[in-house]
Amino acid sequence: MELLRFYSANSREALGLLTQHLWLVLLSTVVAVAIGVPLGILLARRPRWRRPVLGFANVCQTIPSLALFGFLIPLPFIGGVGARTAIVALVVYALLPIIRNTYAGIAGVDPAVREAGRGMGMTDRELLTMVELPLAAGVILSGIRVATVIGVGVATIAAAVGAGGLGVYIFRGVAVVNDTLILAGALPAAVLALAADGLLGLVERRFVWR
Amino acid sequence: MAVEAEVGALVPWAEAPARRVSRALKGAFPGRAGPSGHGKRIVASALIFLGACSRADKVVVGAKNFTESDLLAEIIAQQIERRTALPVERKLHLGGTFVCHEAIKAGQIDVYAEYTGTAYTAVLKHQPGPGADSVRRLVENEYASQWRLAWLEPFGFNNTFAITVRQADAERYGLKTVSDLAAVAPRWKAGFGYEFLERADGFAGLSRVYGLRFSAPPLAMDLGLTYRALADGKVDVIAGNSTDGQIEALHLVVLADDRHYFPPYEAAPVVRAEVLERHPEVRRALAELAGKLDDAEMRRLNARADVQHEDIRAIARDWLTRVAP
Repeated sequence: MELLRFYSANSREALGLLTQHLWLVLLSTVVAVAIGVPLGILLARRPRWRRPVLGFANVCQTIPSLALFGFLIPLPFIGGVGARTAIVALVVYALLPIIRNTYAGIAGVDPAVREAGRGMGMTDRELLTMVELPLAAGVILSGIRVATVIGVGVATIAAAVGAGGLGVYIFRGVAVVNDTLILAGALPAAVLALAADGLLGLVERRFVWR
Repeated sequence: MAVEAEVGALVPWAEAPARRVSRALKGAFPGRAGPSGHGKRIVASALIFLGACSRADKVVVGAKNFTESDLLAEIIAQQIERRTALPVERKLHLGGTFVCHEAIKAGQIDVYAEYTGTAYTAVLKHQPGPGADSVRRLVENEYASQWRLAWLEPFGFNNTFAITVRQADAERYGLKTVSDLAAVAPRWKAGFGYEFLERADGFAGLSRVYGLRFSAPPLAMDLGLTYRALADGKVDVIAGNSTDGQIEALHLVVLADDRHYFPPYEAAPVVRAEVLERHPEVRRALAELAGKLDDAEMRRLNARADVQHEDIRAIARDWLTRVAP
């Protein structure tokens, strides 16, 4: 109840932070997809790169967020304080599930199907866009789904570098011993994660050809 | 990743059931006449059982999530180990004032180092104002009556908020006090930790007392990262801690609080009264440390940990053998 009173008293601020949060997740996921999917495709073509690239993505996943921010602040272009640094960090954390699933999806395409495509005279590019990607779409999408849901939670740390988002309430609440403030940030973040999961699940079911 | 945020987010939920249980137990034993009442003892032992899964007689030392708190906890832990036969367990680097306070209330930790001004404003939620002695007295009384927590004698230093700028800027503009800062502030950018922005004794009051206006609303970020951001020129003013080792190492200067806005923040061990009753030797051991650690000494110890990256156990051992052989 205290929470409701808090929201009604701070509705504009809360909506602003929610919007910021959504933007952070959206932008970072789009960038992560733009990097991760081509990388995954590349790995399926060049199996020898698989171990170093996936290993690197794995290592990225284990860097503590504050340490990552510490490294990023002094860097030009991608660093500093504010949304840019936060998005770079979020992209780093989102890469692993996207790369891994793209690779797994394409590597999992039945070799017989691929052979059939080649037999029909498909070029490499046609084989990718008309056979492999449609068949792998389900696995790739579920990777993006995982990355997005994780991203909603991880984006709360953006508040540590002045990038705003729902984490602001969590950080403020932790700083001053205030449960209501913490919940004001954590609860909508949890709801957002569930909503993102459900929505992407729907997309998966609707658009994936099986 | 996201450890800070997650710890903060998870703990209240984890704590809630424990609190409910304690309330239920208290309701079940209405005849708790005082510290010696049967009900109280049963509740206490039940809580200890629930809180730490039948833990044996040992002292659990907690700390907040920054170097100085870890160091003080390590000093407390080693002193108890040196002077008593009690085994000591360390739970260091917990998620800040909030988490430590909840943990000691629930009996999950027995002792940690707290600051009088922090307890006064952030935990007890009083407005800043009174002088050093009355802050300590008030905090002692309210902790004892509300939670049966005892404040022991302070260590001897005052870790206040330090309004900090780059040394080069301080020299160029002749800045010595926070009052001097007010003149250049409209062209400058500030970056503050959440605690400072949010607390009753934080930025809102400071800007009112000194008439501070910055070029934009201060950037809210993690306290540790503000030092990095200041040193790299991403912001121009931060609020650090006066005993931080980083200040000298990064060529930063602390501006004097010439209007005495901040209350005193004397660090002292806060202990569960029950532990002191059962083991009076803990009080005696910690009393040896009272007043032995001044501002400069604390800054040196912090610098050894943060700047020279020495092991805090070794730093604590060195210091203890020097001041309490």
